Amino acid sequence: MSISKVLILLGLLALAGIATADPIHVEKVAAGDKIASGDQFLTQTRQLTYDGKRSGEGYFSLDGKLLTLQSEREPENPWYQIYLLNLDTGDSERISPGTGKTTCSYINPADSQQVIFASTHGDPKSLELQKAELEFRASGKERRYSWDYDSHFDIYRFDRATKAYTQLTREEGYDAECAYSRDGKTIVFSSNRNAFREGLSEEDAKKREINPEYFADIYLMDADGGNVRQITDVPGYDGGPFFSYDGARIIWRRFSADGATADVYTADADGKNQKRITHFDAMSWAPFFHPSNEYVIFASNKEGFSNFELYLVDAEGKKEPVRVTYTDGFDGLPVFSPDGKSLVWTSNRKGASQLFMARWNHEGAREAIAKAPARKEDKN
Amino acid sequence: MKKSLMILAMAVIPCLAAADETDLRAHVEFLSSPLLEGRLTGSEGERIASEYLGAQLRARGIQPLPGHDSFLLPFDFVSGMKDEGSSIKLTQGATAKDFPGDHVVGMSFSDNGTISAPVVFAGYGIKSPGSSETPYDSFHELDVKGKIVVMLRYFPENVKEEAFRHELSRYAGLRYKAMNAREAGAVGVIVLTGPNSPNAGKTVPVGFDTSVAGSQIIAVSADGEFADALFAGEDKTLKAIQTELDSGNPHVSGFAFTNKTVTISAAIKKDRREGHNVVGYLPATKGETDEYVLIGAHYDHLGHGAGGDSLAGEGDAGKIHPGADDNASGVAVILEVAGALAREQRPRNIALAFWSGEELGVIGSQAFIDKKLIPVEKITAYLNLDMVGYARDNKLSAQGIGSAPEWPSIVEKANMRPGFDLVMSKDPYLPTDASVFYTAKVPVLNLFTGAHENYHKPSDTAEKLNYEAMDRMVTLATNIVGSLMNDEKGPTYTAVERTKPEGESGRGVGRVYTGTIPDYAAEVEGLKLSGVMKDGPAAKAGLEKGDVIIEFGGRKVANIYDYMYALEGIKIGEKTAVVVMRGDKRVALEIIPEARK
Repeated sequence: MSISKVLILLGLLALAGIATADPIHVEKVAAGDKIASGDQFLTQTRQLTYDGKRSGEGYFSLDGKLLTLQSEREPENPWYQIYLLNLDTGDSERISPGTGKTTCSYINPADSQQVIFASTHGDPKSLELQKAELEFRASGKERRYSWDYDSHFDIYRFDRATKAYTQLTREEGYDAECAYSRDGKTIVFSSNRNAFREGLSEEDAKKREINPEYFADIYLMDADGGNVRQITDVPGYDGGPFFSYDGARIIWRRFSADGATADVYTADADGKNQKRITHFDAMSWAPFFHPSNEYVIFASNKEGFSNFELYLVDAEGKKEPVRVTYTDGFDGLPVFSPDGKSLVWTSNRKGASQLFMARWNHEGAREAIAKAPARKEDKN
Repeated sequence: MKKSLMILAMAVIPCLAAADETDLRAHVEFLSSPLLEGRLTGSEGERIASEYLGAQLRARGIQPLPGHDSFLLPFDFVSGMKDEGSSIKLTQGATAKDFPGDHVVGMSFSDNGTISAPVVFAGYGIKSPGSSETPYDSFHELDVKGKIVVMLRYFPENVKEEAFRHELSRYAGLRYKAMNAREAGAVGVIVLTGPNSPNAGKTVPVGFDTSVAGSQIIAVSADGEFADALFAGEDKTLKAIQTELDSGNPHVSGFAFTNKTVTISAAIKKDRREGHNVVGYLPATKGETDEYVLIGAHYDHLGHGAGGDSLAGEGDAGKIHPGADDNASGVAVILEVAGALAREQRPRNIALAFWSGEELGVIGSQAFIDKKLIPVEKITAYLNLDMVGYARDNKLSAQGIGSAPEWPSIVEKANMRPGFDLVMSKDPYLPTDASVFYTAKVPVLNLFTGAHENYHKPSDTAEKLNYEAMDRMVTLATNIVGSLMNDEKGPTYTAVERTKPEGESGRGVGRVYTGTIPDYAAEVEGLKLSGVMKDGPAAKAGLEKGDVIIEFGGRKVANIYDYMYALEGIKIGEKTAVVVMRGDKRVALEIIPEARK
C-alpha cells in the first residue's frame, strides 16, 4: 500500500525525535484489568449478513443448511421481509410476498419446503402504508425503532415448491412469533386476539390502544391452522415461544404486567407443567433451548437498559444465569444450530443490526453452568 | 539469465498442487526473498518478480492481453532525483556572494537552468481560496512579475482560529506555492525554512516527484546562511518578520529587496526508468463480450527503502524491505485465484493485474488506464488486494463499498464459506491502486487486513503472515469475481463524496509525527491503535496498543478522518491533550508531536 496518503496523513512518518518524555497525568489507569470477552463460549465470531439496512431473527432448518431471516433489503418496502439464506452457497431469496410488514419466520423441521412467518400483506392498506412510511423517511425523519403489534399480522405458510401462501390465522389481532414442533404437526405462537373480543371492559379497551402486547398469550395450533388452544392466561405480554429441537418442551418469555421486566418460562409440549426458570430482575427474553436440552440461552438487559447481552441458564432454572457476550449495544435473539455447534444471533455491535454467527463451546457452557451459584430465592 | 531459468523452474512447482497455504507461502517467500531486494519499481528485483509472475500465469493457462505477446506491460517513470550542484549568487551593488551546493538544493519539480532577477519576499507564499472570512493571499498587491520570489516553508504556526490554521495547512505544499508564484508572473522561487519553524534554517531535501512534465519555474531551497545574507541590511530580520507572520496577523505584506539581485542555477537530474505491470487474460468462455472483470494487486515495494517512505529504525536503514505483507500477500492470493478462475466457465473476460509503481504513487495502474490497455468503460468492476496477510480475530476490511450499491450483497454471498468477520467501509478514495480505477468511474472493492508494526520496514517478512486466512481469502476473492462475471448487469458505479481533506498538498499535515499505528479493522467510535511506534511521541506520551483515541488537541475524534483533521491544527513541540479509552476507562494524556523531516 502506498504510504504517501495514509501514513503521512496519520503522522506516522519521520524519525526526527525532538520530544523528551514528559510527566503524564492519568485519571484512572486500567492496568491489570483483565477485559472479559465472550471467547469462553464463542469462537470464530463473524458477521453473517451484510445486505440490507438491517437484518435479524435468523432460524435454522433442521439440516442446518438454511436460515430464514428478516431483512430490510428492498427500496420499495421500508419494512422487514423474509429471506431464505443458503449457508452453503450464500445465495438468498425473498420468500415473503414483498408488501407489508413481516416477522418471525420458521422452517418446518419435518419438511424444509415449508416456512411459516407473520405478515400484514392481507391488510388492504398495506401498500399505501408502505408508501407513506417511505415518504416519511425520505423527509429525513426516522422513528426510533419500535414494534407496533399491527393487528393485521397473521401467520402464513409458504411452500417453496409451489410458491403458494396459505393463511393459517384469521382472527383480528396480532398473530405472530410462530415456530414449528419437531414433527411439524404443531405450531406455537403468540397472539393478542383476546384484546379484540367483544365485551372488553372500558379499562381494557384503553389499555389495548396503549399496550396491545399486554394481552398477548401463547397459543398452540395444528399445522393447518385448526385446533387452536390457548396455553397461557396471565396479564402481561407472553411471546417469543419455541419448541425444543426434540419437540418435548416449549420455552417463551413473559413480561410482568407493568412491562418493566421479563423472565423465561418453560412448559411441556402441550402447555402443561409451566415453570419459571429465571428471576433475573431485568428484561430477559428471546430464550432458546440448546439441542442437548440441558440449558437455555436468552437475552437480557441486566447490564443497562439498552445493552442487551446473551446469558445461559440451566433448563431447570436452578442456577444464576451465566453471561455469554460482552459488547456494547444489542445482542439478542440467539438460536443454536440443530447440531448445537453454532450460535446465530442478532447484534448491532457494528452499527445497524445484522446477523452474527460463531462456533459454540458446548462443554465450556456445561462447565460454566455447573460452577454458577444457585439461583437466589424466588421473590414471587 | 541463469537466475531467470532457475526462477522459471521454480515457478512451475507450486501450481501442480491445489491451492493451499503451502502455495501461498511459497509465493510470498519467493517474492520477499533477498534475491528480489525489495522489488523496487524498475529494479532488477522487479524484473525477477515480473518473470516469476509471468511464469506463474503461463503455468495456469493464462494468456497475455489480446494484441500483446508478453505479460509485461512497460511504463516510463522518474525513478530518482539528484541535485547536481544547484547554486545561488547574491549580488548587491558591486559585491557578489556565491552560495554553492551545500547551501542550496533544487526542488524536485524545478526546471533546470539559470535565471537572474530582482528579489521579492512573499511571506509564506500561500494563496488559499478563503473558506474562512478573510482569504489569505501572500501575493496580494505584490509585484512579482519577472522577479524571483523568496518564501517561507510550511504555514503560519500561531494563527489562533483553528479552522483558519487548517485551511492554511492545506495550501502549504511547496509545489502548490511555487505554482502560485508562477501564476503571478515570478520566474524563480527560493524557499527558506524560517528560524521559528521545525527544521529551522535547513534546506528542503530534493524529494521525489514522479511526474515527468516540467513546471516552467526554477525553484530551490536555501539554508539559513543565505537567508542571513539576503536579509542583511533590511529593516527587519527574517526572524522578526516570521514572528509577525506567525502571530495572528497573516497579512503582513511582502516587500521587494532593494538593490539585491539573485541568480539561481538549478541542476536537478531526473533518472528515467521503465517499470513493468504484469497483466494476464482469461477470455470469456461463453458468448461474445468485450467486458472485463479486473482483479489486481501491486507487486512492487520499497527496495532498500531509499525513497523516503521507509519506516525503518536507525539500525535498519538501508536494509532490504521484503514487503511480504505489502504486497506479496495480495499477489500470492491472486495467483491462486487465477488458478481457480482458469477452471471456471466465464461469461465475461477476466484480467489479472500485478501492478508496479504503486509505492511511488500508483503510477503503474495509472499508466495502464492512460494507455487504454483495457478501456475503463469496459471494466465491470475492479477488485484490489493490498496487504492481506495480517488477519487478526478473523477480521478483514472490505473497503470502497460505497462505489456501488451491490457490494454488500455480493460480499455477503461470497463470504458465506470463507466466513470472515468483514468490516465494511464506504470510502473508495484509498491509498492504493483501487482509487485510480474509482476515479475513472469503475466500481471498486479493496481487501485489506490493516496496518501493523512491520509496515514499510525490513521486518515485513514472510513468516509473519496468516496463511490460513489468506487461503480463505482465495475463496472469497474467487467468489467475488464469480459474482461479478456472472451478473448480467454488473455493479452500478456510484459517486461518493470525498470526505478526506484534500487540498493541493497534504504536506501541511505531513509535517507532524505522532507515531501512532491505527487499527483499520476496529469498529469503534474513535481511533483504535493497533500499536505505537517505538520511542515515538505516542509511546513517550504513554499511549498503548488497544487504546482508542477519542479526543486530540481538544477536538473530538470519532474516526480516522477526525484524527487527521485534528493533526493538521496542532503545534509541533507543544504539549497536546489526548484522551483515550483504555478498556472502559477514560485516560487523559499529553503528547508532544514531533516534526516530520
